[in-house]
Amino acid sequence: MNDVNEELKVRETTTQSDPGAASIAEDVQVTPRPPVLEVKDLTTYYPINRGLAGRLLGHEAKTVHAVDGVSLRVDAGEFVALVGESGCGKTSTVMTILGATKATSGSVRVKGEEIVGRTPREMLSVYRHLQMIYQDPYGSLDPRFRVSDTVEEPLLVHGVGATKQERRSLVLAALESAGLSPADLYIDRFPHELSGGQRQRVAIATALILEPSLLLADEPVSMLDVSVRASVLNLLDELRRTRDMAIVMVTHDLSTAGHFADRIVVMYLGRIVEEGPAKEVLANPQHPYTKALISVVPKPDPRDRSTPQTLSGETPNPVDIPAGCRFHPRCPIAREECAKSDPRLRLSVKVRIESHRVACHLA
Amino acid sequence: MISVPLFSVRDLHVWFELPDGRELHAVNGVSFDLHAGEVLGLVGESGCGKTTTILATMGLLPSSADVAGEIRINGEEILHGGEASVRPHRWRDIAMVFQGAMNCFSPVRTVGSQIVEPMKLHGIAKGAEARRRAGELLEMVGIPAASADRFPHEFSGGMRQRAAIAMALACEPKILLADEPTTGLDVMVQAQILELLASLADTLGLAVVLVTHDLPVVAEACSRAAVMYAGRIAELGSVDDLYHDSHHPYTRLLFAATPDLLGDDRVVSIPGSPPRLDREIVGCPFRERCDSAVAECATEEPALHLVGSSHVAACHLNDLIENVRQ
Ligand SMILES: Nc1ncnc2c1ncn2[C@@H]1O[C@H](COP(=O)(O)OP(=O)(O)OP(=O)(O)O)[C@@H](O)[C@H]1O
Ligand SMILES: Nc1ncnc2c1ncn2[C@@H]1O[C@H](COP(=O)(O)OP(=O)(O)OP(=O)(O)O)[C@@H](O)[C@H]1O
Ligand code: SF4
Ligand SMILES: [Mg+2]
Ligand SMILES: [Mg+2]
Repeated sequence: MNDVNEELKVRETTTQSDPGAASIAEDVQVTPRPPVLEVKDLTTYYPINRGLAGRLLGHEAKTVHAVDGVSLRVDAGEFVALVGESGCGKTSTVMTILGATKATSGSVRVKGEEIVGRTPREMLSVYRHLQMIYQDPYGSLDPRFRVSDTVEEPLLVHGVGATKQERRSLVLAALESAGLSPADLYIDRFPHELSGGQRQRVAIATALILEPSLLLADEPVSMLDVSVRASVLNLLDELRRTRDMAIVMVTHDLSTAGHFADRIVVMYLGRIVEEGPAKEVLANPQHPYTKALISVVPKPDPRDRSTPQTLSGETPNPVDIPAGCRFHPRCPIAREECAKSDPRLRLSVKVRIESHRVACHLA
Repeated sequence: MISVPLFSVRDLHVWFELPDGRELHAVNGVSFDLHAGEVLGLVGESGCGKTTTILATMGLLPSSADVAGEIRINGEEILHGGEASVRPHRWRDIAMVFQGAMNCFSPVRTVGSQIVEPMKLHGIAKGAEARRRAGELLEMVGIPAASADRFPHEFSGGMRQRAAIAMALACEPKILLADEPTTGLDVMVQAQILELLASLADTLGLAVVLVTHDLPVVAEACSRAAVMYAGRIAELGSVDDLYHDSHHPYTRLLFAATPDLLGDDRVVSIPGSPPRLDREIVGCPFRERCDSAVAECATEEPALHLVGSSHVAACHLNDLIENVRQ
């Protein structure tokens, strides 16, 4: 199985660095640069709070398997969208990559350097190149800081910009490019004086001001209307093209993922169940979970009402992971084998497109 | 007989005082009616005044805000009497899911105990009965009842968001103001929440104002919607009219900027930014970004006019077309 993976990676890399010229003969060219991000068999388990009563009664300590064996590789200039149901472990995945949540096992390499097990102090040099946009701009902006202070902070921490004046002009430029225009109208405000989408753009400006090589973004545009959303995403697109920024973006917006991401990675209960080229995954989903997700995307035309495939069955519970395929209790096409053996992520037998992989016995 | 709307907002204005003493006119003459069982969408660009509008109707704006207009619940005016006239209605008759609601729980208490609180406060239920109800409410939004004993940080973002919806429903309000309740939720949970709101509207006659920037969500969940721009209502009508028979260039451009799931075309934003609200706006507020502006647009602000049955829009082009017809 490893051989197949290795081979795939080589191909992906080649395609990346030289799109359009990826023929079989060129498969042997290996890019010497390590990927910007390489995650291997990552797991993140949280101990569950049993409560005092539970502890006294001696209930067994349980764990939440939030991330349960995720491997991911992101190259320079690549844009990966991470999608999946609420609670499937998307935030846990990016927070573990960031080092803000402790990995239970596995490896995370940023530009070739292992960062699992590092102390916050040791992480500081990594954060010069790795920035995060948190899921919730209401919780993540410090209410006592003015916009100017928040956006300037990374400059101060990493010693960028010699004078106050220089830093202020960097801050203004970052705000403008994140779509807060005219920036001087917002720069001296406190978070509570901003609308939701305006806060989100402050968070975006803060993360981009150092032009990181790797951006982890957890629903960064969720509060932005289509128009502002498009301009922020066009900005990210430009940064990856011109500055080789690698992006991992958690999003619930599949249309946006399809338009801007190179690859879509679909998670279910702590695992990757499907991944592949973005448009390919949307147009030709192989995993029954991905198919269901796509069917519930609302359409702008009120007359265009297809019947969504909302999933039946229990909301997945990452404490008691079902045996076999973890999706089988809700799967509309499950067979006997699905309850017994856990399908691994592999090339789909049906599509045979390089790098479109799926974890389903029937795909 | 014309029935009194359950909830009605007339000519609402909100000004924020800025630190330097100038004023920002965040909401500028917003009016709408809402009947029992109806789901009304409130859409528009970031910063156009959606949250401010609904916070004003709940009497929850900071003291730096000046509010004028009329707000009626079942015909009873609740704005002019100040806090004393809103308080009896807040949470009981009219409840709200805050934007960024995933952040509204206190980290030190279990989610269940926080959902029980408004029930106790308003004498709806207490003790075991209240806890049972809290469990039911959580199940309703797709969270196992047993999770009531967990702390907010043990929930994912989307779970906290759903718990906030459960909390808003705790006192069985007649009107629910939901500010971006599905923002950041995956499409599956979003579909479930929208279904839930629709069924509450259908079966219990809950009236919902659904604030969102997401047009497909509006198309899916609402019967009518108001499109806001720069603090004003630019167009209000059935979702079908807005999509198929829009009478405002802004609405049209918003839909055009909504990416298709499988479309190949580049996603275009509407060029430019909304006007500064801390300065007086002359003419149509959308003029500088409009693709069809005429001379009048620079000098005169267009008023909301009827353009179809229960369909209004504020754009000079409509008057021109009307003149040509006559
Ligand atoms: N306390 C305040 N002081 C000054 N200005 C404010 C204050 N609160 C909001 N504003 C401004 O009022 C305008 C309307 O804000 P509001 O929060 O209503 O927008 P919104 O439509 O809900 O946007 P979003 O979709 O981004 O949440 C914005 O320009 C915002 O910056
Ligand atoms: N600190 C924690 N302690 C215990 N359980 C946790 C903790 N943080 C998250 N979880 C659980 O881990 C699972 C994954 O959570 P995570 O926040 O990663 O989900 P997510 O995919 O980001 O969801 P959403 O889309 O709702 O934000 C959830 O079941 C959640 O309840
Ligand atoms: S009034 Fe004029 S500027 Fe305003 S939307 Fe209509 S055409 Fe455009
Ligand atoms: Mg999350
Ligand atoms: Mg808002």
